[in-house]
Amino acid sequence: MTLLDGRNLRKTYRLGRSNTVHALRGVDVSIESGEMVAIIGPSGSGKSTLMHILGLLHGPDLNHGPRPELSFGGRDMVELGEGERTRIRAREMGFVFQDFNLVPTLTALENVALACDYAGIGGAEARTASLAALDLVGLADRAGHRPAELSGGEQQRVALARALVNRPKLVLADEPTGNLDSERSSEVLATLRRFNREHGQTLILVTHDQEVAAACDRVIRMRDGRIHEPAVPAPIALRPAPALERASA
Amino acid sequence: MRDLGRRKLRTTLTILGITIGIWALVVFGSMANKINALVEGGSTYFADKVSLSADAGMGGFSSAPMPLATTDLVAAIDGVDVVVPEVMLLMDDEMGAMSMSMPPMIQGSVAGSDEGRETYDLRYAQGRALTAADEGNQVTVLGSDIARKLDAGAGDTIDLRGVEFEVVGVLEPTLTAPDQTAMVPFGAAQQLFVASLPPMVREGVEADAVSTSMTVYPEPGVDPDALARRIEAQLPDVTAMSGQDFDEQIGSSMAILNAILIGIALISLVVGGLSVVNTMAMSIAERTREIGIKRAIGGSRLRIVRELVVEAGLIGFIGGAIGLALGALVVTLVNDAGRSSGTVLFDLTTGTAITAVLFSTILGALAGFMPALHAARLDPVSALRYE
Ligand SMILES: Nc1ncnc2c1ncn2[C@@H]1O[C@H](COP(=O)(O)OP(=O)(O)OP(=O)(O)O)[C@@H](O)[C@H]1O
Ligand SMILES: [Mg+2]
Repeated sequence: MTLLDGRNLRKTYRLGRSNTVHALRGVDVSIESGEMVAIIGPSGSGKSTLMHILGLLHGPDLNHGPRPELSFGGRDMVELGEGERTRIRAREMGFVFQDFNLVPTLTALENVALACDYAGIGGAEARTASLAALDLVGLADRAGHRPAELSGGEQQRVALARALVNRPKLVLADEPTGNLDSERSSEVLATLRRFNREHGQTLILVTHDQEVAAACDRVIRMRDGRIHEPAVPAPIALRPAPALERASA
Repeated sequence: MRDLGRRKLRTTLTILGITIGIWALVVFGSMANKINALVEGGSTYFADKVSLSADAGMGGFSSAPMPLATTDLVAAIDGVDVVVPEVMLLMDDEMGAMSMSMPPMIQGSVAGSDEGRETYDLRYAQGRALTAADEGNQVTVLGSDIARKLDAGAGDTIDLRGVEFEVVGVLEPTLTAPDQTAMVPFGAAQQLFVASLPPMVREGVEADAVSTSMTVYPEPGVDPDALARRIEAQLPDVTAMSGQDFDEQIGSSMAILNAILIGIALISLVVGGLSVVNTMAMSIAERTREIGIKRAIGGSRLRIVRELVVEAGLIGFIGGAIGLALGALVVTLVNDAGRSSGTVLFDLTTGTAITAVLFSTILGALAGFMPALHAARLDPVSALRYE
């Protein structure tokens, strides 16, 4: 089943009168439910921009060129108002951003619980779920620490716990292993892979890391604001269990 | 709310800004209250009656002699119902002219001679009121400030211009003239007055034929102001002051002073307020990335604005409460220090206190509202990229 489907996605930044940056020049992309997809490409190729549009943080350009389309879980997202987009982000999506992720005045646990709160879950239930999510990324013992008391890699893992805590339909992560050494990186990757296998968690990972890309079901290569080549299937050995089994989860 | 404690420096600065503004508002507001109370007390006191003094006099505190015989001349004028002759003199010659508030006065009239026309209600903290039977005795009723200053209560003996008087009563505070007055029988006041005159003047004055001022109660339905003009027309040596005159003369000059005080308080509040708007805007701008994260992971605009505005309002409330506490401290200390010299400058009312804290809370919330709205309306990605 198609979870996310985008057509003609464009994003242009206007910096001055004649200085425009075409961050996305027309992207068609489709993500299946239960898929684990990597988006790779050189710096500045539009990976983050695409992730932000797929995550409803930005709208695609509407003004010129063919009309963009974006559907999530079968619903049209282009016409949606900001309030409804916010609700969907809170309840059906999880995010890990490239470099700034946590509210500095809140502890790790409070940061994770904030996502529960926005999704309408509070109190003891939120606490339990948040602790479990922190445990999943190996940070249960850091629950009471604030971001300034955590390493960059630990902060990113807290963000991952926050992205996963509500078991959202879709997790979008921008360089989730960017600040980790290869050992930690493998651990986080294994966690994501397991989550994908066991819960059919749909994941979109923006990455530079070949190991991460190799672990995904599919790799989307970007260059200069476009999808560069047809999606390449990952090696057979790394493929997930058949989609039908996962869909029942 | 826990957020506040974790952003100490910025919060402290913001609170300090509000504290200073509210402190000024409380202190100057209390001073204005005191002035208002004086003016209003005077207004009430002078309403519905006409006060007469000798023309040479210097307004309300005048102590130029006025022949007691004038009473009959005044009583004969059309519209005059009751005339009460009085003697007023400074308790202390050195005091007064320099003092900002009213100087302590000795006042004497025959108790009951107003025939029940006086409506100004005096309440007694101790002892009793003077009666007509006290004439001939050296007894006194003290205003609250004088009693405190002399540390005297009913039963004590005090010294008024070198003469011993027995205190038979002490008034409740009125916040106006009576607080600074020692009331004595008419005859005693006449004696004190004549003794206070320079020897040259004293020669021609007989104690039992003197007064310094008179209070005229008009007949029912007679306009006090018109009566005052009529008295002045018929008795050229006499200055007549009605409640309206009081309001025009004293009232208007006090109103100007009052406006200046309120003006100072408002200016300090505006300056304080602007610095609060500034620090609030900066502290919210500083948190733009944090707001971006909250928006990105599903925090609604409404919720984020509400969080920030509540936080800003709380900062305003805390600043206001501290400002009020410090203001109250200053007011109390200065009043206590001034009381011994009879100069009570401030009157911190509940209304002023509530206004100050309410104002600072609203000011804080408003100062937070605009930048909060701005930050919450940014799209999450721009907010996240904000430097
Ligand atoms: N807010 C913005 N204003 C102007 N230009 C922008 C803005 N955001 C992105 N761009 C430009 O759009 C292009 C794509 O940016 P994007 O962040 O999507 O790249 P990326 O592939 O994620 O790169 P990286 O691997 O370095 O994170 C870049 O050239 C970037 O400079
Ligand atoms: Mg990027």
